Amino acid sequence: MSVNDQLHGPGRLRSGVIADSSFNFPSSRGNLCCSFALDVHNENNLRSMTDDLKWYLLTLKKAERNIVAAFQALRSEAIEPILIKGWAAARNYPDRVPRYFGDTDLAVSAADYAKAKSLVETHPGLRGVDLHRELRHLDTLDWDRLFSNSKLVNMDVAHVRILAPEDHLRVMCVHWLTNGGEHRDRLFDIAYAVENRPEEFDWSKCLDVISGNRRSWIVSTIGLAHRYLDLSLEGLPFAHEATEIPDWLTRSVERSWASESRLRGIDESITDPRLFLHQVRNRLPPNPIQSTVFCEGKFDNSPRIGYQLRDMAGRIVPSIRRLRKAVIDQYQWSRTK
Amino acid sequence: MNNSERPTARKSGLVVQEVPDEVLVYDLESNKAHCLNQSAAMIWKSCDGNNSVSEIAKLVETQAGEKITEDFVWLAIDQLSENNLLEQQVASNFQGQSRRDVIKKIGLASMVAIPVIASLVAPQSALAAASCACNNPQQCGNPPNSQCPSTINCTVLGVCAAA
Repeated sequence: MSVNDQLHGPGRLRSGVIADSSFNFPSSRGNLCCSFALDVHNENNLRSMTDDLKWYLLTLKKAERNIVAAFQALRSEAIEPILIKGWAAARNYPDRVPRYFGDTDLAVSAADYAKAKSLVETHPGLRGVDLHRELRHLDTLDWDRLFSNSKLVNMDVAHVRILAPEDHLRVMCVHWLTNGGEHRDRLFDIAYAVENRPEEFDWSKCLDVISGNRRSWIVSTIGLAHRYLDLSLEGLPFAHEATEIPDWLTRSVERSWASESRLRGIDESITDPRLFLHQVRNRLPPNPIQSTVFCEGKFDNSPRIGYQLRDMAGRIVPSIRRLRKAVIDQYQWSRTK
Repeated sequence: MNNSERPTARKSGLVVQEVPDEVLVYDLESNKAHCLNQSAAMIWKSCDGNNSVSEIAKLVETQAGEKITEDFVWLAIDQLSENNLLEQQVASNFQGQSRRDVIKKIGLASMVAIPVIASLVAPQSALAAASCACNNPQQCGNPPNSQCPSTINCTVLGVCAAA
């Protein structure tokens, strides 16, 4: 049974996903990878579309306009960006399953970053762009290699550049883990990227180009998608390995999914003492997933305490700096009010 | 009734998505979304600044294959104008009748669905996905909170409501 059948069958409604028992979700592997999932010209698919889906179609088109405008603006300055997450992740989703995204994540080479940053700050066509200086912690492959692997895909009337599916899967997994695995809905990004991967997807290009520790992150995240979203592991070269998820990892994600409070920058909650204390409490002890990723550690059954202590030590000074800046900003804002 | 009025459909600042039987419109200026049924969409598309209300009625009649009255067209134009989907506002022209009366009259006489423009509201899932992290409204919509869907309802909890 596919991810879609398992997840979006009658009566199973999850946040961010429209459940529609009257519709069979197409999910056969590879069918949806090369074109955007929502076929708006298929009348049978859209006759009974819900208002949520209509809203999604509109916001998607609006987002595509912004993405095309951003590419045009950067290309006019001879900068070629790569689109990551958001729209690139949504491409793997099946018909009628919205995948909302806010800003446009664009990565540019370190050499182009300063020029691109100043453009983003001034060019009206680049509003809403979250600019990345290459992929930093999200991946260890060098930029030139990522860029040569990348490909151009159609969007509206233009072509936009996205990562190769093997590279993008790694990036999405690491990004999800960097957030402590707390965004349960975003685990769908990984599930659909695996479920709807293209026929030519090469697991060695995905897993054999990174360290053993990072490999364990990717395999474990796919394992979590299998465990919680019923992603099929059939035919995957690491299927058995993916079922052996460390206990601390499942405990950690289940705890954060059960919690009503999300991890936010501690500086973002300074105006609300209760929220601030909550955020401090959320960090004690530090999230073991974030700590392991922060320390480039391995996802295995060994205790996390060493990573958590190193993580705390490494974060304390930057956190105090951010907190200080937030207090000053808040004070200045309250004076101008 | 001024049936020589030649309304023009607004084109700028809109994102338009056609789907079977409906046209979806997102107004980038007001951040509002509308859903035009087939009748309203046909009339909207016929508002090219050259066609009068009487001519639009004839055009739609040809497309729909049914008798279309000028009241029917006015009903659409009234809603298009109200939702700022015309280049210039057009005053409603129902000869002293209310919109409700006109709908009742047209509904009884017409075989074609009356023109309807419905508002689309952002689902909670969309708002949650676009949540941000701001300490004050000044930060809303600005980097690094560019994804804020609102610049006025941004809360410390990082949840934005549509403006």
